[in-house]
Amino acid sequence: MSAASATAKSRSGPGRPSHKGGAPSGHGARPGRRRREFTTRRGLLIAAFMAPAAVFVAVFTYYPMIAGSQMAFRNWKLTDLTDTSWVGWKNFHEVFADPAWGTVLANSALWVVGSIVPQLVIGFALALWLRRRFRFRGLYQALVFFPWAISGFLIGILFRWLFNSEFGVVNDLLQKAGLIDQPIAWLAEPDKAMIAVLVANTWYGVTFFAIMILAALQSIPDELYEAAALDGAGKVRTLLQITIPYIRTTLALTVLLRVIWIFNFPDLIFGMTGGGPNNETQIVTTWMIRITQQGDYGQASAIGLLVVAGLLVFATFFLMATREKREVKP
Amino acid sequence: MRRRTVLALGTAAALVLTGCSTMSPSSAGGAVTLTMVESLTNPARTDLLKSLIADFQKQNPKIKVNLISPPTEQADQKIQQMLQSGTGVDTLEVRDTTVGPWSNNGWLYDMKKDLNGWKGWQAMTENAVKASQDAEGKTYFIPYGFYGLSLFYRTDLIKKAGFSEPPATWEDLLKQATAIQDPAKRQYGYAFRGGANANGNATAAIEAYVADDVDPANGFKLKDGRTIFSAPGALDAMETYLKLFKQASPKSSVSWGYPEMVEGFSNGSTAFLLQDPEVIATVSESKSITKSQWNTAPLVAGPSGKTVQPLATAGWGVAKGSKHKAEAVKLVEFLSQGEASTNFTKKNSLVPILKSATEDSFYKTGPWSSYVTMTENPDKYLVVTQPRGVSWWTEWQQKADADVQKMILGKLTPKKLLADWDAYWTAKWK
Repeated sequence: MSAASATAKSRSGPGRPSHKGGAPSGHGARPGRRRREFTTRRGLLIAAFMAPAAVFVAVFTYYPMIAGSQMAFRNWKLTDLTDTSWVGWKNFHEVFADPAWGTVLANSALWVVGSIVPQLVIGFALALWLRRRFRFRGLYQALVFFPWAISGFLIGILFRWLFNSEFGVVNDLLQKAGLIDQPIAWLAEPDKAMIAVLVANTWYGVTFFAIMILAALQSIPDELYEAAALDGAGKVRTLLQITIPYIRTTLALTVLLRVIWIFNFPDLIFGMTGGGPNNETQIVTTWMIRITQQGDYGQASAIGLLVVAGLLVFATFFLMATREKREVKP
Repeated sequence: MRRRTVLALGTAAALVLTGCSTMSPSSAGGAVTLTMVESLTNPARTDLLKSLIADFQKQNPKIKVNLISPPTEQADQKIQQMLQSGTGVDTLEVRDTTVGPWSNNGWLYDMKKDLNGWKGWQAMTENAVKASQDAEGKTYFIPYGFYGLSLFYRTDLIKKAGFSEPPATWEDLLKQATAIQDPAKRQYGYAFRGGANANGNATAAIEAYVADDVDPANGFKLKDGRTIFSAPGALDAMETYLKLFKQASPKSSVSWGYPEMVEGFSNGSTAFLLQDPEVIATVSESKSITKSQWNTAPLVAGPSGKTVQPLATAGWGVAKGSKHKAEAVKLVEFLSQGEASTNFTKKNSLVPILKSATEDSFYKTGPWSSYVTMTENPDKYLVVTQPRGVSWWTEWQQKADADVQKMILGKLTPKKLLADWDAYWTAKWK
């Protein structure tokens, strides 16, 4: 029996409730269930209950979004609000005309890819390890998940000190281990600063992957692994043909979420390097904060809109690309 | 069913209405409630402010003050939102960097008429009176104190290196810091500022080198109207400053901001530090260096023996949208005079605004004495207004910080940097 057939069997096998008597699936009329009539009065009641939430969302989410969007097309400078006239695409032109913009985009791509790959690999490994039963597993899980509860800005400040060339722990440990002779100026050398912020972000983000993947792993029935073992499948084959296909949907969605979040995550860099040295760790969102600090909300809003547009395009392509794969039965 | 519908609609309406209602300052029963907002918040300072406010309330039983203390990093944004809404703020903290844009937007009240004949003016130093008026003579805030640079130095290390006196000029500083620098022993000469606000010390060096020609009304302008960056002395200043980094500072100070600089001096690894007086309290608590191992000296001078005090300031002002301006001004007056002012400057390690402070033993002795020396010798330590109120100040700071970093990383020469800064300010002033 192959691993794939084991999957099919397990889904209707013992220990799993059959559809008979359970929640019905599929579309169309449901026999035996009386459909409640939709009346105006009932509609009003529903609307009344929904109204506070709808008003809240409209006032605190959609209004600021729309107001912020139109700001991108205005001369909206906090230093002089006496003239907030319509300027069309001027703010966008200024964004593209800035000589640092190319560096900022390249850094953002490196920031996302360089963070997500180690986060995924280490998070996966951690989740596999935490899935096994061992003493104090709960305690270990809590310790692993702890970083996710800390503010990104605080993590940035903590790592800023850890990576400090003269007083930091990182250089001290590397020197004591005999790996380096001279302290490395991690946050001062242009080619090292990005490595330092990526290490910090990996430490921070591994947790989320571990949480998500562990939850997905726990939904894989043990029978599958037992069947695979009976079939003589090794660890690698089990991983590639059972574990990964089974949690593919979770993996795809977690990667999508993390790409969006990492792209929109200036906190850590802001606390750690402030985008320096010489803009070497400047990403789109730290750049946006920088422009906001100058009081140029028009240009900052233009950058915000570009981020939303870019992430929408990415999410669409990513979901299209992963849908086919997710539809293939493991 | 109908009853339920009515109940649901009522609940929804109540929720919406309560969510949308605004809180307005009360003035019931003849008592006025003022809303005061601070921006450079820290817990100890907030407690101090609360105790000063309690004294004010005791003296003015019909005025209540509600203090709002947003976290420093969000404070300006929050105050701007409050000011933009037009109501909700009476007295507020205004800094030399925020007064320009906020008054430009019509958010601040000109207190000049209200303060006509106020006896507090006579007790204030010349610097304080000057700082309380903008170029058009309007009074948008009364300073509560000044932040000014002085040189923190290690008495033991300079002695060991063979020097009897702390450096008096930038050249002396370079010489002494270079002699002390020994990276192998993790001993560094100067706590260089290459990260956030790197522009401040760089321009302080330039101003020292052109002190004789600088326009007292604008620290970035020469008396002939050109920028200070175009003067030949500016190039000497930047070359010395670059040498100070290369020969006498930790390599990683490319990214050093305030915390690293202060830590570097406090933990004993660097011998010199240019910082504000608030650092006196931090260094005093150091467990690595004792009080006998360090002191402060006046800000180092240029080749002429003169220097410019790059004073930064902040103070209390009144919002234009305030409905209780008279009471709000009264609170500003209270905080800007007598014991309230002295208490505030002492406990916040600020250069005081009151003349009487120079007679106070607190300021006359120890590390504070260098600030008194500078105040008492205005011919040598020139008081020059910095253009910190211009609308492009933050943009300039960010640009200049990045340029200083480029220069010390070897990607920009001092000459090109100065030409660029000259062009930047010339264009802005057109």
